[in-house]
Amino acid sequence: MENKKNHSGPLMIALQHDDLFDLNSVSTNTELPKGRAFTFIKAVQTVNERLVEQNKNECLLFEVILIAMECTEDVKMKIVESVKYYGLEIGKFYFCKKEELKNTLQSNKVKLFLSTDRDDVQEALRSGISAALLYDQADHHVLNPLKVILSGDVLGFSEDSLESYLDFELSENQIETVKAAKICVKEFAVLIGQMRRRFGPDNSPICTCVLTVWGSRNVCASALKTLREWGLDVDEAFCLAGAPSNPILSVVNPHILWDGGFHNMRDLAALS
Amino acid sequence: MSEIKAPEAASADRKAAPSEEKDWAAAKAHYENLKSKKPRPPKPKYAVTIAVSSRTLFDLTAERKIFEEEGVEKYVQHQQDNENQPLSPGVAFPFVKALMTVNERLRELYPESEELFDIVLMTNNHAQVGVRLMNSINHYDLTIERFCMTGGQSPIGYLKAYMTNLYLSRDSKKVGEAIEEGIAAAIMFKPDVETKLSETQLRVAFDGDAVLFSDESEIIVKQHGLDTFFEHEKQYENKPLAQGPLKCFLEALGKLQKKFYAKNERLNCPIRTFLVTARSAASSGARVLKTLRSWGLEIDEALFLAGAPKGPLLQKIRPHIFFDDQMFHIEGAKEMGTIAAHVPYGIGQKYNKGKLIEPEKQQN
Repeated sequence: MENKKNHSGPLMIALQHDDLFDLNSVSTNTELPKGRAFTFIKAVQTVNERLVEQNKNECLLFEVILIAMECTEDVKMKIVESVKYYGLEIGKFYFCKKEELKNTLQSNKVKLFLSTDRDDVQEALRSGISAALLYDQADHHVLNPLKVILSGDVLGFSEDSLESYLDFELSENQIETVKAAKICVKEFAVLIGQMRRRFGPDNSPICTCVLTVWGSRNVCASALKTLREWGLDVDEAFCLAGAPSNPILSVVNPHILWDGGFHNMRDLAALS
Repeated sequence: MSEIKAPEAASADRKAAPSEEKDWAAAKAHYENLKSKKPRPPKPKYAVTIAVSSRTLFDLTAERKIFEEEGVEKYVQHQQDNENQPLSPGVAFPFVKALMTVNERLRELYPESEELFDIVLMTNNHAQVGVRLMNSINHYDLTIERFCMTGGQSPIGYLKAYMTNLYLSRDSKKVGEAIEEGIAAAIMFKPDVETKLSETQLRVAFDGDAVLFSDESEIIVKQHGLDTFFEHEKQYENKPLAQGPLKCFLEALGKLQKKFYAKNERLNCPIRTFLVTARSAASSGARVLKTLRSWGLEIDEALFLAGAPKGPLLQKIRPHIFFDDQMFHIEGAKEMGTIAAHVPYGIGQKYNKGKLIEPEKQQN
């Protein structure tokens, strides 16, 4: 995309307030109950702490922006109070309208927009925003390293590997979407790669994975090599060749799953 | 489609010129490859899933040395530097090739069926090592499309997620954990001499007690001696033994065998199973055979050694893998060129050559 890339600055991530806090359960407390993005933000904060431990002047840190669309004044207050209450490191708050989302994200150079809602992610991708699915970790008490899964199907994609997708035929439109998604995630991948290299192979607060659901092993190898070129040495790799992904995902237990919207192109249920 | 193809095929046959026929066959093959006729891996829930570790599939002895002596970073770097150098075949390689052969035969007879062997590479290795592993798999054209590179995490959760029927590794800790979780697993050993194995038939040999069956009878031998054992077995001849860790794998093999029998291929079946037991046919053999029958399982050949060493007999059988719970038999097998796999289950783990191992000296 742009040629001038700021590789040493903060890695900007955007979250929605209804993922960070649970707005549905009734509570008498002033602060909002924890939502599904809580384990994520704790993991991110741990990464920042460890980075600063190693280098007091570290610039490459995560910076989280909280987006709240169409909120009442009451809820806005509660959000700010709750962030303070839990001691969360939220860089900026944006209370805006839905139409303003894209501009807000772009002007803040957000590398990744996260949501637990698949449709939200899909919509964001369609309007050209780099977005990924946020997962809630099963156990809130165990603090696992930040786990990021990138799709091998998208990253390992190339025109001459079309037949490696186990006879699923991709339309012209889908091929364009995949190619665009690959370009789109590069900035995020480069920065995560740099962050990951600040730590050794063991005891790292970040863990990166490649998950290839439909592509053959060559697609997976291609994805690993592409990421390596971008400076990201992935820790774990899984190649499913059409096996159901849910059992594997529950063992991998990610915080973030980025797939450029690929999964929504196919009916996952058809594979299980 | 066949109407268009048929005349060309017929004319190619009639021409009978070897080079032209070859060209046509090559073109046909190329065309079929383009349409991704590469066999698609079966759905895990129908398949017999075999998970192999990287050190059983390939010979990683030299690389392992680097890992142990110079640490993980140097090891990963070495693997990356040598990425395009295919690795040599490991101890499970012949077994994997035999599984592939069975799959080919099954696909011929049942083109639409998902009841096939599914081979998964299950390794603790860092994903960066994966490229070399994949290049090596490509080099030998193995049909392994599924893998887990867990970057140091335990493979147990993934074994379950893939509904693994058998896990082969060189790491005794992981195999022990798998068995405790109810997954059939064994530690593979490299034979001291090389043996030529069948390329058309998968041959699997099993020990009886504490492998196919529970270790209940073995406990009696170890604690009360052979005479009590013989009496006990005669008395309980008609009571089936409890099942052991590899019973389900034998069952899975049996299911696939029946598919060949159903198509009249019994004499040409590419799977053959053997029972190689220290029991003697006369005094304690009946119970074993009756147990198998009660489970509805067949074993092609049952060999009762009455305590004689297993090595020479296995040398004649030439299995692609031989499962036993006692290291004593594993060593005997491997000395004479049999690929042996230790199943760390039951009372046999506490004994070495019939003597109780002192707790400190116990092998893992």
